[in-house]
Amino acid sequence: METAALIVVLVILLALFFDFTNGFHDTANAMATPIATGALKPRTAVMLAAGLNLVGAFLSTEVAATVSGGIIQEDSSTAHLMPSLIFAGLIGAITWNMLTWLLGLPSSSSHALFGGLIGATLVGVGLSGINFGVVLSKVVLPALIAPLTAGLIAYLATKLAYLITRRYDGKPDGRSGFRWGQIFTSSLVALAHGTNDAQKTMGVITLALISVGWQAQGDHQPHIYVIVACAFTIALGTYLGGWRIIRTLGKGLTDVKPAQGFAAETSTAATILASSALGFALSTTQVASGSVIGSGLGRRGSAVRWRTVGRIAVGWVLTLPAAGLVGALAAFIVVVGGGWGVLIDAVLALAVIVALFLRSRRNAVTANNAFSEVADSGRAIEVPEEPPLTPRQARAQRARERAKAKEKGTGR
Amino acid sequence: MTVVIHWEAFFQVLGAALVGTLVVVGFYALGLRMLVRAGRVPVVTPAEFTDAITVISEKEAKRAAKAAAKAARKSPLSDGQKTLAQIAAYACFAVCAAAVLGGIVLIVVK
Repeated sequence: METAALIVVLVILLALFFDFTNGFHDTANAMATPIATGALKPRTAVMLAAGLNLVGAFLSTEVAATVSGGIIQEDSSTAHLMPSLIFAGLIGAITWNMLTWLLGLPSSSSHALFGGLIGATLVGVGLSGINFGVVLSKVVLPALIAPLTAGLIAYLATKLAYLITRRYDGKPDGRSGFRWGQIFTSSLVALAHGTNDAQKTMGVITLALISVGWQAQGDHQPHIYVIVACAFTIALGTYLGGWRIIRTLGKGLTDVKPAQGFAAETSTAATILASSALGFALSTTQVASGSVIGSGLGRRGSAVRWRTVGRIAVGWVLTLPAAGLVGALAAFIVVVGGGWGVLIDAVLALAVIVALFLRSRRNAVTANNAFSEVADSGRAIEVPEEPPLTPRQARAQRARERAKAKEKGTGR
Repeated sequence: MTVVIHWEAFFQVLGAALVGTLVVVGFYALGLRMLVRAGRVPVVTPAEFTDAITVISEKEAKRAAKAAAKAARKSPLSDGQKTLAQIAAYACFAVCAAAVLGGIVLIVVK
């Protein structure tokens, strides 16, 4: 029992570390657009993001319940293995995350987490340990559908925003006012991030507490102190991550107009919030990327750079199985080595964390690792400097030209 | 083991997010449009920053403000109409705020 308690403590520490890196990594998602369009000063943006992540983490715990109650089937015969398997899964997730950072591959921390947990459970318990229905309907399918949903909504919203504010008489159109709006929409994205991403860590910790008997079997809601710990950790990560991003900002940014950014962020926030309410555990990064691409397509004359889209998509698809593989490997060590296996895993985890820390201290920060995939996905859309005219604009221009020609004709 | 997938949940997400987004974006855009109609063209200079994006310079911002003022002077609307447009603009922004708050309340209550 004592080893189990020790492992649970390790799981909690590792999970909180994961939570921290998640916030650290994802500040850019919420705050990339308002900083890019100049809606917010970077300092204000980061503070706001941290504060709202904190609030968001308290708003809904549906996603936490999905993670702690649905994905892994509890079975009393394997309960003693569970804490070390969760530990192995976390190691898989963190290792994969670090690898993708080092290689500059797009990835998703959330899918790395699920991949690691599922891989570890498959090795430790077998097929019966995973509730594939829940995995499919609350993790895999949302992962595929949510970015498309967000993209479609962002596309329509961008069209709508431009349609309503378009003027044909050459007078100011007031689109600069979308900058104010972005302050609110980016705040909403940060809030939504808290309702989805902070929950995943809560779910994992709750899962560990249940497996060791510190929380009742049927009770999948996280304890209040788990919520508080995760909320503050993700907020801290967001705050500290922001400074790193600010230092390097300005290199990976894409051309995002205020109206477009406003539409994209509203779509991201709405999609994540609606999904959180139903307990879908999504990758906030992927949803935000889908929105940015969709809103880019909503601008006239834009075209998709399929090569970039393909690269991003491959990274997304790879994450779940790859993290699963690493998690499975870590679980294998636990299953074979027992207590020693956990020790080996712990040492490996420590090595990974130290490497990550050293990496983050290094000054060579490039657009690849410092700026989010969301900014990257903006580059997947090519928007011409001079968009083609709408039919009505074309008609107006033809009329002007005719009038000019007429004037010339009479003047002679 | 049967795998049950609740497809309707995805449509719920799509529907809720779509309606929410279109209401917020639509009314915000309409609000801006009304502000412009009221002769109060918003000219928002980006906050300090950065080297990678086109930042409006102070000069450009002044020029934009001037153009806005000129357009407002030329506007054939009477004062009453302008006030009405302004009220409508604020009403639109209020609808946006209400939609956002309503959405959050729905999530928390659930």
